[in-house]
Amino acid sequence: MAKYPFNILKSLIPTKITQNQINIYIIIAVIIGFATVPFFIDVDTSYFAYYLFLTFLFIVIAQGWNIVAGYAGQISLCQNSFFGLGAYTTGLIWLYDVTKTGYYFDPVVMLLSGLVPVILAIIVGIPLLSRLRGDYFALGTLGVQFTVTVLMLKGGAFTRGADGLHLPSVAFESMLPYYWVGLLLALFAVAVVYFINRSNIGLALKAIREDETSAASRGVHVLQYKVFAFAVGASLTGIAGSLYGIYLFHINPDSVMNLNWLFFPILMCVLGGNGTIMGPIIGAFALAALLSYGDVYLLETHPILSGLIIILVMKFMPTGIIGLKDKILSRR
Amino acid sequence: MGEFGIIIQVLISGILFGTMYGVAAIGLSLIFGTMRIIFFAQGTMIIFFAYICYWLFTLIGIDPYLSLILLIPISLLLGMGFYYGLFKEAAALEQKEVSLLIAIGLMWAVENIMTRVWTADPRAIVTAYTSWILRPFGINIPFTRLIALLIAVLSAIGVSLFLKRTRIGTAVRAASEDMESTTLMGINPHWVNAVTFAIGIGLAGIAGVGLATVYSFDPMYGFTFVIMSVIALALGGMGNVFGALLGGIILGLIYNLTAYFIDSTWANAICFVVFLLVLMFRPQGLFGGAAQKV
Repeated sequence: MAKYPFNILKSLIPTKITQNQINIYIIIAVIIGFATVPFFIDVDTSYFAYYLFLTFLFIVIAQGWNIVAGYAGQISLCQNSFFGLGAYTTGLIWLYDVTKTGYYFDPVVMLLSGLVPVILAIIVGIPLLSRLRGDYFALGTLGVQFTVTVLMLKGGAFTRGADGLHLPSVAFESMLPYYWVGLLLALFAVAVVYFINRSNIGLALKAIREDETSAASRGVHVLQYKVFAFAVGASLTGIAGSLYGIYLFHINPDSVMNLNWLFFPILMCVLGGNGTIMGPIIGAFALAALLSYGDVYLLETHPILSGLIIILVMKFMPTGIIGLKDKILSRR
Repeated sequence: MGEFGIIIQVLISGILFGTMYGVAAIGLSLIFGTMRIIFFAQGTMIIFFAYICYWLFTLIGIDPYLSLILLIPISLLLGMGFYYGLFKEAAALEQKEVSLLIAIGLMWAVENIMTRVWTADPRAIVTAYTSWILRPFGINIPFTRLIALLIAVLSAIGVSLFLKRTRIGTAVRAASEDMESTTLMGINPHWVNAVTFAIGIGLAGIAGVGLATVYSFDPMYGFTFVIMSVIALALGGMGNVFGALLGGIILGLIYNLTAYFIDSTWANAICFVVFLLVLMFRPQGLFGGAAQKV
């Protein structure tokens, strides 16, 4: 009966561990790892925690662009107006006391901040996406984003112009809720893209990206799916904008409709690998590191450096960091 | 001068103002034609050449208009260098975001280098003739703006002659219609792209001199400039040299009239709305004939 203990051990380990299960265990381990970070380091004083918060925020906006451009293949250049609109929705609801709820990290307000950009996305998306293709769509969205910025600047007493909205910052207690909510939103955004990718919708979006005409001839309702992807991207970006607005407590066109919020998601997606799930995540970690640590160690030169890094990455690995794996594997 | 005189004045300065955008739009149009990207760094390059012109004037004392002789060859070479150094690999790819991002990276880097070298304070070139004003029929036309208009028109004629009369110009026109077939005809796509880049940046050099003599400029002005040029491009229609120039002039008129009658911030919004309407209902531009393949 010497074999008996080994049998018990054996029965504990599943007979066949598939790659899929390993991936799930890794993902759970990583999530638990990030979720427990606040127990090991002091979130309020650590710069590393700020870096992680920024990364989570970036993951959300990167996935928002990923679904429009990476999966549906429509280059949207008005993500910053969705971001700003999310932040403004949060700020306006809070200041004008619309929903009569708690406001500070209020899920209702965050949800509404995700909904308002959807309305804009549908209003501008239907005419633009039905009439314009490719580069012309990109140019059209660029026009939309400038118009929205001017509307916010010229909103008069309602949006308070260039000075913007000042939220009651007495609500601030600790960075801890920002960290948790950021992580939760990042997980949510990744999950949204993951499940859309696995569903029929994902298949339709990829078909549109590859060849719009043949997708249409196969019975894919092209406009409907494009507007859907545009709206989902807008919603994710808007929710991220809401979180950033709560973080800043001061919402003005210069801070939340800055063109950086337009370029960052593009940069992260292409840096990591556009049209993949891991790509934007890797891109977010890389860009947040460049921006947050660049600010500390290379105060004056870091914008020049970021420009040069973009050029070099695009020149030498245009498929992004995730494409590097395939390159190395194929070389072997 | 009565109300009517003021409106004439607004119109004239709109036209003079718009030609600068027109010149930038010609460059954008050429690069868009062959590479299918909006070259976002165009405005920043214009500002860069304005600074070079400023340096030549303040350090060595070369007259801004005379410095064109030096700046045009430099900018042509720089354009070719940009293509072979930065865009060559990306141009062959299916994903246009890659080239677009290189342009954005270039814009970012050059903008910040300029901020480091020349600081963010606005600069302007003041020569003996900066304050000269011509007064035909009681309308004020600053001399430098008139020269800027002249330079713009001359460069538009030059580019148009180059495209129509030379072999490589014909190749550029063919490539902007159908790059694949042009390559099959034995034309090297890299050479065509490099030539368009050279002309695009060359025009940036010319516009830079025009800008430096007329307005004060700062490193961050480039992005605003390129956006206005994109609107001018859409108004004039892609791949139409004189259309781009006229588009710039129309944009200048729209901007100045709305700025005069309403407010200058709203003028921006109205320009963008016009831009959106033109994109949607006349994607071939205001002067285009048959609808272009989109």
